[in-house]
Amino acid sequence: MTLPEFTLLRPRNLPEAIDSLDRHRGDIQVIAGGTDLVPSLKQRLFAPRYLLDLKPIRDLRGIRNGHGLTIGAMTTVGAIADSPLVAEKFPVLAAAAAAIASPVLRTTGTLGGNLCLDTRCLWYNQSPFWRASCGFCLKKDGKVCHVAPGGEKCWAVFSGDTAPALLALGAEIEIASPRASRRLPLADFYTGDGMARIKLAGDEILTRVHLPESSAGLRGAYFKYRLRGSIDYPLAGVAVALDLAPDGTCRRGALAVTALNPKPQLIPGAEAALRGSRLSDDLLDRLAELTNRAIKPLSTSASTPDYRRHIARVFVRRAVRQAWQA
Amino acid sequence: MRKELVDLSINGRRHELAVEPNRTLLDVLREDLRLTGTKCGCDDSSCGACTVVVDGQPMLSCLLLAVSYQDSQIQTIESLATQGELGALQRGFVQEGGSQCGFCTPGMVMSLHTLLESTADPTEEEVRAAISGNICRCTGYMQICRAVRHAVAEIREEEIREKERLHA
Ligand SMILES: Cc1cc2nc3c(=O)[nH]c(=O)nc-3n(C[C@H](O)[C@H](O)[C@H](O)COP(=O)(O)OP(=O)(O)OC[C@H]3O[C@@H](n4cnc5c(N)ncnc54)[C@H](O)[C@@H]3O)c2cc1C
Ligand code: SF4
Ligand code: FES
Ligand code: FES
Repeated sequence: MTLPEFTLLRPRNLPEAIDSLDRHRGDIQVIAGGTDLVPSLKQRLFAPRYLLDLKPIRDLRGIRNGHGLTIGAMTTVGAIADSPLVAEKFPVLAAAAAAIASPVLRTTGTLGGNLCLDTRCLWYNQSPFWRASCGFCLKKDGKVCHVAPGGEKCWAVFSGDTAPALLALGAEIEIASPRASRRLPLADFYTGDGMARIKLAGDEILTRVHLPESSAGLRGAYFKYRLRGSIDYPLAGVAVALDLAPDGTCRRGALAVTALNPKPQLIPGAEAALRGSRLSDDLLDRLAELTNRAIKPLSTSASTPDYRRHIARVFVRRAVRQAWQA
Repeated sequence: MRKELVDLSINGRRHELAVEPNRTLLDVLREDLRLTGTKCGCDDSSCGACTVVVDGQPMLSCLLLAVSYQDSQIQTIESLATQGELGALQRGFVQEGGSQCGFCTPGMVMSLHTLLESTADPTEEEVRAAISGNICRCTGYMQICRAVRHAVAEIREEEIREKERLHA
């Protein structure tokens, strides 16, 4: 399939990039690795007049060790998966990055792109011909949602793997804009709306991800459900990070999910349930139930909502147990 | 659309050509440079047939914008044979039946080529992981894994012979 026509802008530095975004507002889109965007352009989900290539901006790349860890938005997810530093300090992030797509995509896809990923739906990620034959849908060119007809909301699912790991670790993100650059908890970045998925203005760029030193060394596990063992996007993903006292009680912990809602999210109540607890079937049941309440899988993918709900509960139990006993 | 004059480094040779910014590297390789070894399986970034090596790493050429990779060293399947003779990995595919219809083969070989560059004697698990983004509809993958074993053994024998020659 051919790509739509566009002009490719290659800024040499961040101010130049922001300036271009500002100038062509509404008609320009950022391209990082392009592993999500290029297939979507081929499907005509977007047709911007300008694409802004972030690859030439060198200082958006790399993993910096300091107080915690700072990862540039243009660092590839493969570099994160292979980094001994990440594996040692933040094992749950290493596991999540290693579960993304396939080796030939991880060399290209970036962390920034992974966090800004467009939401996905069976009715949306299709060719124009396919979408036209169904009368399109709310998210693009149409008037109804085929998943929840009658509603006004799009339920397309956020399907990135690193977000739940970063949420469980309490990561913050840095955003550059023509105004002052800002820093916010990753948890505040997502809207929960399948259409306007992230709180990022058209003239802003995600530049860095900060992992706090207080989360360094947390035990972690990431469990992912996908149709095949490789290549596929997650259809449910569960990340857990735990700090255990020497006697095995949990001092602090967090549980987060992806690919089950229009946004990746921390499970409300999980931190309180984990704090001061010991590993028990009761605790695992409670965490599974809290997850069950927080998720709303719908018929947006090739797997059924019931199965995804089931597997999410199973994975919560497995992930917490594995992290605890690691 | 306006074409851009680009300078691509492919298999150690520089190619100057005019391309539109919306052309993928895969299209430019196959259509403009007639390097048709690299295959287009899905054109949707999901099969691995179009895998080429960019700066030492395997990537899907059907999603790379050609104009964005002017500062990179690009390597395609055409680079693996020397003076018309197949490389060890390619000979492994022939010997072990690792290639049937052949459509996935160039991508498979490029993924495995990068593996062997970093890991001289990979484990079975490493071989399987390296091709986990390359789909083959014919062989069932076992022959491909054996092809790697074959190549590793051949390379090692060649090294031993080379050493003996030097000592003689
Ligand atoms: C076959 C296939 C399978 C995949 N499987 C998975 C999977 O299992 N798990 C998974 O998580 N992902 C998967 N992906 C998606 C993708 O490969 C990864 O999420 C990758 O990390 C995306 O990064 P990118 O740099 O390629 O993003 P791009 O495609 O370049 O960008 C994605 C989106 O983010 C925006 N964006 C990118 N960077 C920035 C930035 N710095 N600031 C602001 N906006 C930005 C872009 O405008 C675009 O809207 C898959 C893709 C394919 C094709
Ligand atoms: S959830 Fe509804 S509106 Fe959103 S992409 Fe799917 S069908 Fe379209
Ligand atoms: S042709 Fe590129 S992945 Fe299939
Ligand atoms: S040999 Fe036919 S697809 Fe692999």
